Amino acid sequence: MQQHNLTITAKHQPVVLERLLQVTRYRGFNVVGMTMFPVSELEQLTIELSVVSDKSVDNLKNQLLKIIDIEQIKVEDQALQKFMA
Amino acid sequence: MTGAELTLQILQQHGVDSVFGYPGGAIMPLYDAIYDSPIKHFLCRHEQGAAFAAVGYARASKKVGVCLATSGPGATNLITGLADAMSDSVPVVAITGQVPTVAMGSDAFQEVDIIGLSLAVTKHCVQVTNVEDIPTAIEEAISIALSGRMGPVLIDIPKDIQVAETQVGGKGPMNGNGPTAVDCHHDLAIEQAKTLISQAKKPVLYVGGGVGMADAVSELREFSQLSKIPSVSTLKGLGTVAADDEYYLGMLGMHGTKAANYAVQQCDLLIAVGARFDDRVTGKLKEFASNAKVIHFDIDQAEVNKRRLVDVALLGDLKVNLPATAVTTDIAPWQQYCRRMIIDFAWQYDHPGEKIFAPALLNKLSQLMPDTTVVTTDVGQHQMWTAQHMAFAQPENFLSSGGQGAMGFGLPAAIGAQVSRPNDTVIAVSGDGSFMMNVQELATLKRYGIPVKIVLIDNARLGMVRQWQQIFFEERYSETDLSDNPDFVMLAQAFDIKGQVITTKQQVDAALKEMLAHDGPYLLQVRIDELDNVWPLVPPNAANEAMLESVK
Repeated sequence: MQQHNLTITAKHQPVVLERLLQVTRYRGFNVVGMTMFPVSELEQLTIELSVVSDKSVDNLKNQLLKIIDIEQIKVEDQALQKFMA
Repeated sequence: MTGAELTLQILQQHGVDSVFGYPGGAIMPLYDAIYDSPIKHFLCRHEQGAAFAAVGYARASKKVGVCLATSGPGATNLITGLADAMSDSVPVVAITGQVPTVAMGSDAFQEVDIIGLSLAVTKHCVQVTNVEDIPTAIEEAISIALSGRMGPVLIDIPKDIQVAETQVGGKGPMNGNGPTAVDCHHDLAIEQAKTLISQAKKPVLYVGGGVGMADAVSELREFSQLSKIPSVSTLKGLGTVAADDEYYLGMLGMHGTKAANYAVQQCDLLIAVGARFDDRVTGKLKEFASNAKVIHFDIDQAEVNKRRLVDVALLGDLKVNLPATAVTTDIAPWQQYCRRMIIDFAWQYDHPGEKIFAPALLNKLSQLMPDTTVVTTDVGQHQMWTAQHMAFAQPENFLSSGGQGAMGFGLPAAIGAQVSRPNDTVIAVSGDGSFMMNVQELATLKRYGIPVKIVLIDNARLGMVRQWQQIFFEERYSETDLSDNPDFVMLAQAFDIKGQVITTKQQVDAALKEMLAHDGPYLLQVRIDELDNVWPLVPPNAANEAMLESVK
């Protein structure tokens, strides 16, 4: 099991958060941390999502990018982050 | 103008001329507007029928299919049809009524959170909260449904928004109605693909439903004619490669041909085009084409490396990427080997006894029907026999619930197909189990005189489940005996639909000809032996070369 941190930029639409969590669960990832805050005068959201799974995070990223209201995703894995720190 | 009138106006501006649905409380303002609208509404007798009809309409015409339902149970009844459209990438727009805004969230009568319910079975969904947002919501829904990897979109409109007055209008159609593709055309990947193809000694072209959906059938056929690479097809890909192509091996997978499965298992390069390595195609994944390198052409980045790591991925429009990678090959021994398998493993239609052999009947039907015929199926043995033994000129002529395998698909999908292509013959091949799942749509045939021909392959069993019980569950036939079925011909008659039942081989030719010549809907009930099975069969969790051809 590896932890991955995703930084997601999304349109601030009512359904986007549910879709994000639904796809994340369906594709086999557990959410272990989540922070979200609006940016650019409430039109956009930044969501910091930490997930664990033994599945490929690239596959999750590609599935999440198909959500119409998600604009951008950056992925960092935990091991790399610790090394950098 | 009201929100309801505006909704229909925007649909009309986008070329929607037919919709399928069922009225109810929360969608009454929209139905009131339909009363005066030039858009033709087809009343199905269950919302699931309306959703499947929209799928059939979309797949047969390559246009967006539209279905309507009221809130609560009307909306939930659409879900199976949306799941089918999601799995098979079908551009459908579903419009549901919702309880008035002030009642939302109060557990009101016929209130259900359809947005929450539809998340897993739609590409996108939106609830309209302001009448002025209607044009954008519908325009975006149609655009999203038809762009990239196509799929269903749901729009939920509260009743008060439908009756609200507004001055806004639509902007008119955006960039036509055709599928648009992301542009990910990479020169390096193109060169790598060309190198792999020219170096391969035993390549196979694995053709999926994405080719037809990308409108790239002629590009695929040109690629195939230039390279002369032997090809196989998925269920949804049938009709893409010409059935008489010299090196076409047939469908692969669980009920694929021996030639197709052996060729794929032995190949050194698998070229997947608009296909997604579905488990019914691959069998045991680790042993699927295990010595092959893989080139994957697709529109959906998320399909690349999802089930099989690939050597080269070509993302984007097949109409661009297929011609860009077409090269000649030098693979004569492999071509000869595949030709030999095509001949050695050809289907045999000789069959002992007087009883009707469904594969032979379907093959005969395939020869008798016009090339432009649309064939839909339900799900089960008759579906696999249709896939194996009928030939289709184009992929939009064969409509079957692939990803979901949704029983009850055949009849309503045929209704949708016939509405979109009124001048073509439409045949629904069904089974006695599946047929009963949306049998109420016989009333839709009657209401509009829709001339769908139904071929009901009747073994008085849930045949595919019975087959698995026989082979894998020690002949314990749990709940698969349907010998108490209704009298199907009498049932058809109750809807003013002509029909007959046949039981012996010598009746087949005349019955098929009578059905095809009949001016109007028709039901041909074909009694077959309940022990007839679909062969070959790759057992679950086995590699594709381990095909069974009889009950051991």
